[in-house]
Amino acid sequence: MTSARASIEGAGARAVAGDELAAIVTDSAGATRAADLMRRHWQILEAIAATDVVVPVQFGTAMADDDAVVAEFLAPRHEDLVAQLEAFEGKVQLTVKGTYDETALMRSVVDGSPAVASLRAQVRGMSEAAGHFKRIQLGELVAAEVEQVRERDAAWLHEQLDALAVASSREAATGLQGAVNAAFLVERKRVAEFGRAVDAAAERLDGRIELRLLGPLPPYSFVNHGVPEWA
Amino acid sequence: MAVAHAAPSGYLERPRPSGLADVIEIILDKGLVIDAYVRVSLIGIELITIDARIVIASVDTYLRFAEAVNRLDISEDGSQGLPELMESVTEGGAKSKTKGAVEGAKEKLGAGGGDDDDDRKSGRRRQAASRSRRRSNDEE
Repeated sequence: MTSARASIEGAGARAVAGDELAAIVTDSAGATRAADLMRRHWQILEAIAATDVVVPVQFGTAMADDDAVVAEFLAPRHEDLVAQLEAFEGKVQLTVKGTYDETALMRSVVDGSPAVASLRAQVRGMSEAAGHFKRIQLGELVAAEVEQVRERDAAWLHEQLDALAVASSREAATGLQGAVNAAFLVERKRVAEFGRAVDAAAERLDGRIELRLLGPLPPYSFVNHGVPEWA
Repeated sequence: MAVAHAAPSGYLERPRPSGLADVIEIILDKGLVIDAYVRVSLIGIELITIDARIVIASVDTYLRFAEAVNRLDISEDGSQGLPELMESVTEGGAKSKTKGAVEGAKEKLGAGGGDDDDDRKSGRRRQAASRSRRRSNDEE
């Protein structure tokens, strides 16, 4: 825990110890911009997750003082927290996110849907006012098509990577051009292997989806679910 | 923070720091919930953009999709663009045919309104972008 302690203290945080457990807290008095708080929150968690297990708490959770942290968090949830920390021992979350190349995506939507192609042609010549409702209709059709493309791409990505993970969770894609967003719980010793598999997937998707690998992260997508069955 | 861009050259070979965009939805929406009421309200998260959050189906979303699909160039339509037409005409025909084909191609590409269309389109895009930002600020 020495490296983790250094990261915690370096970021202006400290540990509040309960029985067997500690919560990592920062003081919110004199808090600056929300963005700075988020950045600090993330830096602390990422630093710890590099070497140790940590159960991430939702950002913005505030309690009155150290005693409250023990009385309202560590003590009442003691059993659950210990079980989760043990379950996540030796594992990290790796999140794979992807963004569509807009042109390639729109191209495949138009090519794959005669309805979109035809409505698009109609709308093209219409003025802003005259075409307003048809544009909404067109957008709805495109959105539905994009969702189908996302389904296929997510299924494919999980096919490539699930076997290397202890558990995986499909998350909602972010942004209009969000392609995939998948969280994987991976044993630390398999992280490099997982990374190579993501590389291979990225090559296959080159030009269509830009793939990004985030992590090691605390197990954000795998807490709140009680003690997992794979533990 | 290090974000590995998974590139053919190798995992984590070139980690690059990223902004909060990719992790905002993780930080805000996930993680252990201790108790709903203890979470402070987050005022002034001015960095939230539509790219960082989960997109909700809405008229605004649909209009943005309609714009995106309309941004596809005419020349990408699969129908012959001007260069291809010129080629096939040169291979083939007589002077009069050539002229006719070129005139026809110009009409097809809507050469008349080209620049104005582009300006109007970018104006709409800018408007849509600032509407989204304002909405995000209101929500937060």
